[in-house]
This record gives sequence, structure tokens and C-alpha cells, in this order.
Amino acid sequence: MFVQINDLHFSYKGAHEETIKGFSLSITKGEIISLLGDSGSGKSTILRLIAGLEMPNQGVVVVNDCVCCDDCQFMPPEDRGVGMVFQDYALFPHMTVEKNIRFGLHKLGRKERNARVEEMLALVNLTEFRHRYPYELSGGQQQRVALARALAPKPALLILDEPFSNLDTSLQHRIRDDLRRLLKQTGTTTIFVTHDEEDAEALADRIVYLGEGKIKKQVMTENNKTFNPQIPCFV
Amino acid sequence: MNWHAVKRQLNGWAILSFLAILLIVLPGIVVLIELFAPVNDNWQHIQEYLLPRYVRNTLFIMLATGVLTTVIGTSLAWFVTVYDFPFRRFFKWALILPLAIPPYIGAYTYHGILNYTGVIQTTLRNQFEITVDQSYFNIMSIQGTVFIFTLFLYPYIYTITRAFLHNQSSSMIENARILGRGSWDIFFTVVIPISRVAIIGGVSLVLMEVLNDYGVVKYFGIQTFSTAIFSTWFGMKDTSSALKLAGTLMILVIAILMMERLVRGRKQFSYASTKVKPLKPRPLHGWHRYAVFAYVSIVFAIAFVIPFTQLTAWTFLTFDTVFTAAFWQLVWNTVRVAFIATMIILLFALIIANYTRLFPSNMTRVISKVTTLGYSIPGAAIAIAVITLFLWLDDQVLSLARLFDLSQTFVFRTTLIMLIFAYVIRFLAIGYNSIESGFEKVGKSFTEASRMLGWNTVQTFLRVDIPMIKGAIMSAFILVFIDIMKELPLTLFLQPFNFSTLATQAFKYVSDEKIHEAALASIVIVLMSGLLIFVSHKVLDKEAD
Repeated sequence: MFVQINDLHFSYKGAHEETIKGFSLSITKGEIISLLGDSGSGKSTILRLIAGLEMPNQGVVVVNDCVCCDDCQFMPPEDRGVGMVFQDYALFPHMTVEKNIRFGLHKLGRKERNARVEEMLALVNLTEFRHRYPYELSGGQQQRVALARALAPKPALLILDEPFSNLDTSLQHRIRDDLRRLLKQTGTTTIFVTHDEEDAEALADRIVYLGEGKIKKQVMTENNKTFNPQIPCFV
Repeated sequence: MNWHAVKRQLNGWAILSFLAILLIVLPGIVVLIELFAPVNDNWQHIQEYLLPRYVRNTLFIMLATGVLTTVIGTSLAWFVTVYDFPFRRFFKWALILPLAIPPYIGAYTYHGILNYTGVIQTTLRNQFEITVDQSYFNIMSIQGTVFIFTLFLYPYIYTITRAFLHNQSSSMIENARILGRGSWDIFFTVVIPISRVAIIGGVSLVLMEVLNDYGVVKYFGIQTFSTAIFSTWFGMKDTSSALKLAGTLMILVIAILMMERLVRGRKQFSYASTKVKPLKPRPLHGWHRYAVFAYVSIVFAIAFVIPFTQLTAWTFLTFDTVFTAAFWQLVWNTVRVAFIATMIILLFALIIANYTRLFPSNMTRVISKVTTLGYSIPGAAIAIAVITLFLWLDDQVLSLARLFDLSQTFVFRTTLIMLIFAYVIRFLAIGYNSIESGFEKVGKSFTEASRMLGWNTVQTFLRVDIPMIKGAIMSAFILVFIDIMKELPLTLFLQPFNFSTLATQAFKYVSDEKIHEAALASIVIVLMSGLLIFVSHKVLDKEAD
């Protein structure tokens, strides 16, 4: 499996009850997974645990044969090769669109870096907006910058936290189709969190229903027919 | 907690923060240890005959100043926020300006204006042939002390309360108006209760300043804790008793802080909401308009225009004798020492604030509290604790040198290190609060985004965190710099031989009864502080937008 999560447990400081109670999930390469659940079901927490922004009480996270955390090691987020699009996008306000995208490419050589920035700008259709600052962009454009920034370093796994929550409905529909096309085009393995079933149906190959910190059920979507299903599903 | 959780907590940020905190609490520990040491005869004498007077004077000054600054600060904040009257926009920030005049400068300026040879009595004698009863014009009393503190410290309450009223109260006040309540009614039944927490925050700042003061009470000859500590220390050469007085004072301060906490309870003092609707000021008509204008103008005149004009006049009078190469040296000393200390404070504040923000735990909460404690310890207590600490340190250095047969003569107490160390302890809180609130406003998601893009905490700190809170760092710099520039007791007692700043030189002139000569140094302090206060409010206003 490309991403393997085993028996993840987590509780916030001072809380008596665990927020995540034994979460396990396997993901094949290139698959798009949606974590669906009500607020408080722990779906964003799972993303933060995979990203390395929170430390689990116990459990194993393996991404692309690289052990991100288990009982005796914890890899900091910057070394995991996981990309993340934040709910509020978290675009650096003191940097232009181009600089935001360039930010994560410090490990590449100069030439490669420039080429990659151009590629990403073209991919999200923002080449002519490269010198704008984030506050000069619309919500949809900001989201595309955030996506381009996260995809630029070619992360093994991309995670998106409520990617459509800041967009109005008509924009939401268009963008989720674009997003799916883009993710498939780049072959990016993706996990995204949402509370909207329609979003999940439209974008994901597989929907994971979450409740009380555990998986309630998993369902393959219609999209999955175009994707090669290798995972048993429990409808 | 498993072991990699421990490892994650114990990183470079934690270690640097612990070291910084250790430096901060060291002098406090010196004072506390001495508090429980056996007493000597001197202490018994002090405790029996002097302490009651120190306590009585200190408490009276605190109580009276607290009440008066509250009345003036709150009423000004209310008028400026709620009513429209001539020059309201000017007064809105001009009423902060008295903060640029340190109380000790205000004290000797008013003494100079009111005494026998001062401008008022001279004019009365020469123009109108009136000789007045001196007792009416004697400001060097406990009431005079309260008068001075009230004039130059009310802006603490004014600024905090005004910001609170401006941001928080519009819907409540408008509702009260719609329900048919009159202005006075609203002020007492709505405004005072809802801004209670802000007012108490302001008053506790005023009281800390009163306890910290040495210049005013020393010049006026009033015996309080501050003067008592220094006279026991220098007059009686009794460090042990002086440290005990400092400890007693610290306990008093901690009691005030705990009282503030109790009154505040769980109520938030800051305003977290971003959806603030500022209150639209209501035009005043008829005599009300002029009454409010007159009140605001009179406070501004007494607290700023009059002392400032007098200082300017004295400056012209003595300019040729005072403005020499030595004066430039004073300015250079002041700016240099304030700059170095401010930079160290900002560095400490940034490290500690970033640590407490990135790794929140009970430990970081304690660290955050301790960081802000220094500001509430009065200068007199810090001064004696720091000297005691450095004397001990020098002894260790010297005995170590003797051990290795080195002719080591380096001692800390002849250097600026001691003074800068004391500044850092006292003013770290100001820099820290400002930077911490900057971080709070920005949130953590930018830092997390940077880490997800492959940068570690140090790289993120330099490339993302610092640029994001530029405004907060800037205002922290200004606030700390002003405070150090005005600072008197620490500088007076910890400055090395042959080193003076504008503040200590002004105080030295005044102590030698050369009040006019002190004007130039004083006015430079006032102008620089005034300018920086103006800039910082511009920065803060822009930040708020």
C-alpha cells in the first residue's frame, strides 16, 4: 500500500476522551479519498496527524515506504513529503503568487525551480496573476494558488482540509471538477476532508465515513469505475 | 507522555527559553532567600518605627492616585469616544501625550513653576505686588505627589479604556440610547460595568508605576518603599534589610496582581472579535459642548502644555551652558544603552513567545507568566537584587582567577552589563506582550503551511513568522525603547562610574538644585518619547485596520 495508517490514537491535551480511537486506513497510489463526517468527528485531526502537525498517542503512519511515525520515532512535518492545502489557504500575505509557489521548492536547483513554478502557474491557470499578492485575488484564485503551492514540491501525498468551505456554491461545483481533473492529471494520492456528501461523491474515488473518531463505513463512488479498484469495500 | 513527546518538547526553543527565564527569576530568588534570612537589629528598628510609615505613605499615594486617575482617565475616554466636540480628533491622541513626560520631570517642572522664584509667584509679586502664602503653593507634599502621578499616569487608563469603548461597546450603548436612557445614566449603568475589566487593567498599570517610582518621591522628600530601600542600602549600608524591604514590596505587588486576577475572573480583557463596529460620536449642543471642551482642554493644558512650555522656556535660558559636547555624549549613551537592551529584549521575547506558541503545555503557560512578572517588580527591588547577584558573581570570578594565579581584574559591576541585565528583567514583559499578541493575531496556520512546504521551525521563524509580525515587533521596539529611555531608578543605581544618561543627568541637575539646567535633557526625553508614542499609535492603528 502506498499510504498505510494503523491503529491511530490521539487525544487533545487535557481531554479525558480520545478524539481518535484506533483509526486505520490503506490507500493505493493515485487514489482520492474523502473523509466525511460531522464536525467534531475528528476528521481534521486525522489530517493533522498524517501531516505531522499533531503527535499521536500511538499508531503508525507510513507514506510511500517511509515511516512517518510509529512507537519510537516521530518525523517532523517538514521531512514527510506531505503537501497540505489549509482550510483558510494560509497563503503568505507578504509574498506574491509566484513567491508563494516558489516557497517550497528550495531543495531544487535554480533552473529546475523556475521551470516548476512556470509549470504550476500554467497548471492552475494563473500565469498572468503571478505578481499579485494574495489579497488581490478572488477566493477561487486563492484556492488555486494554495493548491499549486502544495503540489509544487511533488508531494507523495496531498491532504486538503475542507477545500470548498470558503467558496460559494456555483464556484464550488466548477472547482471540484477542475480539482479532480488536476489531481488525476498529476497522479497525486489525495486525502480530503469535507462534511458535504455531494463534494465527496463528485471528487473522491472512495468515501470514508467517520464518526466518534472511528471509521463507520467505506463506500466506492461512481468515479471509482474509472479508477482501478483494488480495495475491498464495505457497503 | 511517551518519550518522543518529551524529545519534541525539549528542543532548541525550549532550552533557550529556559535560559532566558532563569536569568529573569534569578534576582527574584535572591530577594526571596533574603526575606527568610535571620533579621538584624536594624531590621527590627525599621520594622517597628519606619515600616508603618512607609506602608502608610505608599498605600495612601496608591489609593489616591488610583481613584483620581480612574476618574480622569475614564471620563476622558468616555467623552472622546461618545461625543463630538471641537478638536475631538486632535484630543483623541493628544491626551496620550502626558505619557511622554516622566513623572519625575513633571515633578521638578511643577515645583519650578510654583515655588517662590517660579513664574507664577514672580509675576504676582512683580506685576500685581501680591505676596502669597507659601503653603498654598507647596507641591512637595504627599498631596503634591498624588497630583503629579495623576497628571502623568492617567493616560494608561485613558488609552486602555478608550480602545475598549471604541471597539466593544457600540451596540450596547446604542441599545441603551434606543431604550431611552440618558447619557449620565448610560455612563454609570452600562459603560462603567462593561469596561470594568479594562479600567482595572489600566489602574494596575498605574499602581505598578507608582510603586516603581523613585524620582518623584525622592525629590519631594516623601518616604515610601522605594526611597526606603535606597536609604537603607546606601544610608545605613544595610543590604540585608534593604533586600527584606524589597521582598516585602514584591509581596505587596503580587497581592495587587492577584487581586486584579480575582476581580477579572474569567472575563476576557482583550477583544477577540474582528467584527467591531466603532461607535459613532454624537454631536453636543449648547453649553455641554463647551463644558466638555473646557474640561478636556484643561486636563491637556495642565498635564502637557504647561510643563512642556516651561521646559522649553528653561531650555532657551540655559541652552548655551548645557548644550556642549558632553551633552551629545549623554544622548549617545542614552540611545546606545536603550538600543542594545531593546534588541536583547526583542530577541528573548521572540524566542519565548514562539516557544510558548508552538509547544503549548502547562510548562509554557508558567514560562509565559514568569516572563511578564518582571514588569511588576519595582526598580528599587530589581536594582538591589541585581547588584547583590553581580557582587556574588564578581567574587566568584575573582576567586577563580586567584586559584589559577591570574591577575584578573575584570569585574561585572563596572560594566554596562549589569544595567542592561536589569533593563531586560524589568522591560521584557512589555516586549513580550506586544509580540505575543502579534503572534495571536496571525495564528498558527502560516507557520504550519511553511513546515508542510519543507522548512523547519528556525527557517520558518526567519522567513515567515518574523515578516508576518513585523508590525508587532516594531511597536514592541518603540514601547520598550521609550520606557528604557525614561527609566530612572535602575539607571541611577546601576550605571557604571562616569556614565550618565539623559534621565540620570537631568535628575542629577535637579538634585543639585539646578532645575533650569535639567530642562534640555528633559525636553529631549519628552520630544523623543512623544514622537515615538505618536509613531507607535500610527502603527497600531494601521495594524488594527
